[in-house]
Amino acid sequence: MAALGVLDSANLNGGQKLAVKYFAVSVALFGAQVLFGLLAGLQYLNPEFLFGILDFSVNRMVHVNAMVVWLLFGFIGSVYWLLEDESGVPVVGLGFGNLIFWIFTLAVVVVVLVYLLVQVGPGEKSSIWLINEGREYIEAPRWADIGIVVCVLGFFYNVAATFMKGKITGIGGVLLFDLIALAGLYLAGMWFTPNISMDQHWWWWVIHLWVEATWEVLVGCLMAYGLIKTMGVRRKIVETWLYIEVALMFGSGILGLGHHYFWIGTPEYWFTIGGFFSALEPIPLVAMVVHALFDAGHHKLKSNNNPALGWIIGQAFGNFFGAGVWGFMHTLPQINLYTHGTQWTASHGHLAFFGAYVTMVIAFFYIAVQKWRGNVWMSGNLVGAWKWKWAMFLLWAGMITMTMALLIAGYEQSQIERAIGGSDWMAYFAAQAHRWFTQAMVWRQVGGWMFALGFVLLVWDLMTIGKRETRSTYVIEPEMAKAAV
Amino acid sequence: MIEPVKLADFFIVFFSAASVIMFGATYALLFAWSRMRNRPRLMPLAYLGYVGLFISVIVLGVHANLFNSTFWTVIVLLMLLGYLVAPQAIWHLCVGTHADEHEPDPEHVKVFQQR
Repeated sequence: MAALGVLDSANLNGGQKLAVKYFAVSVALFGAQVLFGLLAGLQYLNPEFLFGILDFSVNRMVHVNAMVVWLLFGFIGSVYWLLEDESGVPVVGLGFGNLIFWIFTLAVVVVVLVYLLVQVGPGEKSSIWLINEGREYIEAPRWADIGIVVCVLGFFYNVAATFMKGKITGIGGVLLFDLIALAGLYLAGMWFTPNISMDQHWWWWVIHLWVEATWEVLVGCLMAYGLIKTMGVRRKIVETWLYIEVALMFGSGILGLGHHYFWIGTPEYWFTIGGFFSALEPIPLVAMVVHALFDAGHHKLKSNNNPALGWIIGQAFGNFFGAGVWGFMHTLPQINLYTHGTQWTASHGHLAFFGAYVTMVIAFFYIAVQKWRGNVWMSGNLVGAWKWKWAMFLLWAGMITMTMALLIAGYEQSQIERAIGGSDWMAYFAAQAHRWFTQAMVWRQVGGWMFALGFVLLVWDLMTIGKRETRSTYVIEPEMAKAAV
Repeated sequence: MIEPVKLADFFIVFFSAASVIMFGATYALLFAWSRMRNRPRLMPLAYLGYVGLFISVIVLGVHANLFNSTFWTVIVLLMLLGYLVAPQAIWHLCVGTHADEHEPDPEHVKVFQQR
């Protein structure tokens, strides 16, 4: 084993070496998301900015797609990180996994370059296959769609074969079933139908069921593993909770899909289904907060990795506020009629994605870097701890500023554009020109700059945390856990 | 099937919906905290949280026109009942999952270093 505090791959097992590659690409794409978000935000303030070179539609598309892909890379990396640990055997087909990583990364680079350099094509099938499929959030051209499915299947093979060869833990079992759903649901967003209602119907299967079902469950698995690793919480407890949360999440989340079907031309019974299950959806989120605090209190917040634990606790709260509070505020059809697709949705989306997913992937970055540096000390009195604390503060403060600004803009839009103006073209522009909206866009940009600063500090911290530490992380005695009861 | 919210009621609908979840969490957290720390004095505060939730649900129901239809009235009643019972169920699950904390767990070694 290398000297303490030095980044050395010898500290990692095979799966973890592959995981850090995924994490590296993930961080780069996170940076791309922030950059293109800033550019898109500037175009709200100055519509002439980069007009005809990088239009708002392109910046927004790259901003959102980069987020989806960097989170996917983060999730895949996190699964490879825990795979050998959980299964007890080396990753089966690791060479194949490495090949898949390079193909996936190359495909992402090509897709982004086409987005930026080609941007649009003629209204022919060749454009769908080679440039842009045109479905919001999953615009990747058809060849890349197929590539994504192949890569995810390759990843699934690694995970399934490894668990089959080794032992299948509770976390591993849930993970396996979740990955089948994750890969399978993507197929729903790939077929073509000229009926826009039907197209949207299937498209939501990818967007909603990924985000509010399979990703939530995946994050539940990662949180379970993270709590075991950072706080020494007993496996039996976190796995029991994982099962409960999976049941609650799938029980409410799958048919919560209905709240996306209110206005796309689907039958009226979706009002009742969507309304009922949307009212249930906050329950697992409340359960997660209570459970996280219960365990944190139970173990008196003693952890071997304070930055990771900080982000895990942030996940419980971020998920609760972003998905729970911000979601329920406008989920019932009686009010969603006015808010659907306004900046209100953007406000909810920003806080929910950050709170539920970004936080957990960042926690795994810290778990990874600790071991990469030879299980270095990352608890209290950590040398240079100000960086992770400030990075966390700036990222949260930036996100909350953006969320509140978008909330105000969305509130104004739902009144001026939707309720008063009747959602026509003139009303749309009247709402965009309103003082509340323009001022909110300024504040959103301020939040964006804070967030960008936090991102830079986060990257700096990830590259340096533990570098000057000379202490190894500690071994907790079983009595400590008992004493905390 | 649905009766849209009146323009004048927008704010109160958003606010009361947010309050439902916030009071729900307050109730659940205070309930768990009171039991975990063995502080029965906190329990009335927890139920005060539920009263806040109850009022928020009723305000939401009135201003979002939920009482104008049987289905949405049932949803309101289910919310009131569900949010009353859920934190207690969550608490019992917390206790249940930690009940055998003192039993040795052969599979899990309390070593904080990552393998």
